[in-house]
Amino acid sequence: MSEMPYNSKTGRVKFMSAEIRIQNLNQYYGKKQALKDINLTIETGMFGLLGRNGAGKTTLMKVLATLLPKSEGQISVCGRNIEEAKKIRQITGYLPQEFSMYPNMTVYEAMDYLGVLSGLSRKRRKRKIPELLERVNLQNDQKKRVKALSGGMKRRLGIAQAILHNPRILIVDEPTAGLDPEERVRFRNLLCEIAEERIVILSTHIVGDVEATCEQIAVLDEGELIYQGSVSALIEQTEGKVYQAEISKRELELLKKQYLVTSMLTLGNNVMVRFLAEETPFASAKPCEAGVEDAYMYLMQREGGETQCLDNY
Amino acid sequence: MFGQLLIKECKQTFKSLIYWLIVLVLLFDFATQLGGDTEIRKEPQKGESGYGYRSSDDPTLIMKATLGSLVEQFAYDRFVTYPIGFYKHVTLNGKEEKQIEEILQKTTGLSGRAEAEQAVSDWYEAQNTAPGPDGAIMPAKSMEIAPAPDLTYDRFSAYMDEVDSILGGGSSYAKDAREHSASVPMTYEEAMEEYRELTEQDRLTGGYARLFSDYMGIFLGVLPVFLAVTRALRDKRAGMQDLIYTRKGSSFAIIASRYTAMLVMLVLPLLALSLLPLSDCLRYASSAGISADPFAYVKYIFGWLLPTIMTAAAVGMFLTELTDTALAILIQGAWWFVSVFTGALHGGAYGWNLIPRHNTVMNWSGYHDHFSQLAANRILYVFLSVILVVLTVLIYQQKRKGRYRLSWNLSGRLKK
Repeated sequence: MSEMPYNSKTGRVKFMSAEIRIQNLNQYYGKKQALKDINLTIETGMFGLLGRNGAGKTTLMKVLATLLPKSEGQISVCGRNIEEAKKIRQITGYLPQEFSMYPNMTVYEAMDYLGVLSGLSRKRRKRKIPELLERVNLQNDQKKRVKALSGGMKRRLGIAQAILHNPRILIVDEPTAGLDPEERVRFRNLLCEIAEERIVILSTHIVGDVEATCEQIAVLDEGELIYQGSVSALIEQTEGKVYQAEISKRELELLKKQYLVTSMLTLGNNVMVRFLAEETPFASAKPCEAGVEDAYMYLMQREGGETQCLDNY
Repeated sequence: MFGQLLIKECKQTFKSLIYWLIVLVLLFDFATQLGGDTEIRKEPQKGESGYGYRSSDDPTLIMKATLGSLVEQFAYDRFVTYPIGFYKHVTLNGKEEKQIEEILQKTTGLSGRAEAEQAVSDWYEAQNTAPGPDGAIMPAKSMEIAPAPDLTYDRFSAYMDEVDSILGGGSSYAKDAREHSASVPMTYEEAMEEYRELTEQDRLTGGYARLFSDYMGIFLGVLPVFLAVTRALRDKRAGMQDLIYTRKGSSFAIIASRYTAMLVMLVLPLLALSLLPLSDCLRYASSAGISADPFAYVKYIFGWLLPTIMTAAAVGMFLTELTDTALAILIQGAWWFVSVFTGALHGGAYGWNLIPRHNTVMNWSGYHDHFSQLAANRILYVFLSVILVVLTVLIYQQKRKGRYRLSWNLSGRLKK
């Protein structure tokens, strides 16, 4: 601890570089390989980690949160080796996919308890907790028991606890799952605000979350990193390959067999479909601007074989 | 961090249902078991009609007393046992009744219930007392009956073991109990000697604090394990594990604060409960001019009871962190069961028992003579507890890094 330089104003440990560098990371569960030769660099701002359920996102999140030891490879977090768990934990906030808090504690008590575990002084906790609860719009629920909170409120409390010790890195795993659309938008905005001053890694299988919040993304499929770069670059790969057409319901099955349909809207006996095609498919199909979802579907089809239906809100 | 965590853990314990259930059990134990034994012994006065009794190891007296009890219980069909130290009324079926009748016939020559009833009636008539309407008798002296002329002590012992077995164990016919069954009247000098030991060597409060420790220790050999198991499983149940694991706080601070909080919260009700008998003792000591030790209860709570609490709590924490199950309750329960029945009931010969017994205010000499053994016993359990807590910290540390759970929850992880 004595060798670690501190910023006297923020109380945060000074690290050499504000980035996460992952090199040749392989992760095994017994004989099963969950992550395959991952090379990734994550810098300050929102970073989206996309992939289907079971792609290895949670495994990667847990390795970064020091909850799982890496099997092979190198990971440095702001210049520190990931194996220095205690030092990494000082600068990392983590919101797991599934979590809760002691149900009988009040919101304030739960935050205070975790604040003590983060090594915050009583004075700092007293100042910081109300501040954060206000930031996540829970200032009027401080005395409410955790068990009385809605799913969205719990998620917001989860974010508040994760940034309580002012971490340099925030890891959030599937944070919007189960939230209603309004809560989801509020949550995304909150993450964007937080990301102004730190690295926020958002792991999700919901493309809409990434589209609304991230500039840089990585896509995992069956443990392999199949894309790393900007959202715009991903979209560019799909330009000129997205079409829209109004077809009859009878024609839909045939179209589905030939092309990858990314969305459809029923209009009486007809259906307005949006689909991907390498070249102009038929005369009535009109080319249209590609979105992140189209780009993701295209990538998954190209790199990962069959593509499953994705959620988008 | 440790201090702040400790306060938070104490508050959590205070708000937990299991803690208050434990306090209720301790209160019940105090009120029902100890309640009748807290009357302060008065100084014997010369010329009193009697000075009480002391136990005798004379085989003839033991046979007389034990058989007297058997005849009396058989006559009124009021068999009583103490299987885990608590009163139990035993109802015999026809076959068991027949077996006991045969044993009674072989050991006393009495045949059938009518003869047994007559023998009881004759005894109490001779004692100038009579059985009450429900068969309950408050005689000046417990019933005795002469053994059959050809009955050896070895045969007697074998028969009594059989009776104890028929009654399901824990009866006054078991070896330890029957060997303390015979008593002889104490002389004034003997009574004064015992009283002097209580008031001078034990400074009055010592004897009562030992009795308090004896009764409370019975439950404290197992109750802390419930608190430890529920605390250790609470994180998992509440879905809080990962939030805690990824904090800066050391595994030592987390585990040690939880463990210490359990000890503090279990000692507090003991200290509170001890105030009642302590104040009785101090009041009497003041009126009788005895120099009582006001800190005796505190000394016994920390010296006698705390190592038992520490061990049960440490076993609970260790096994729960190791297995993520409530297995500790089963293991500690079994250990507790064995401990309660092992060792001398009235002090002395404490051995290595987790729950040392001393079920009397007296027998200072038994305590004094075996003090070094008792001290070694208590130190051993403190040492064992510390080792278990250190091991718990190591396991917890590995779990936080995902190293220990990896093998356990492999199938669960693969689903993600």
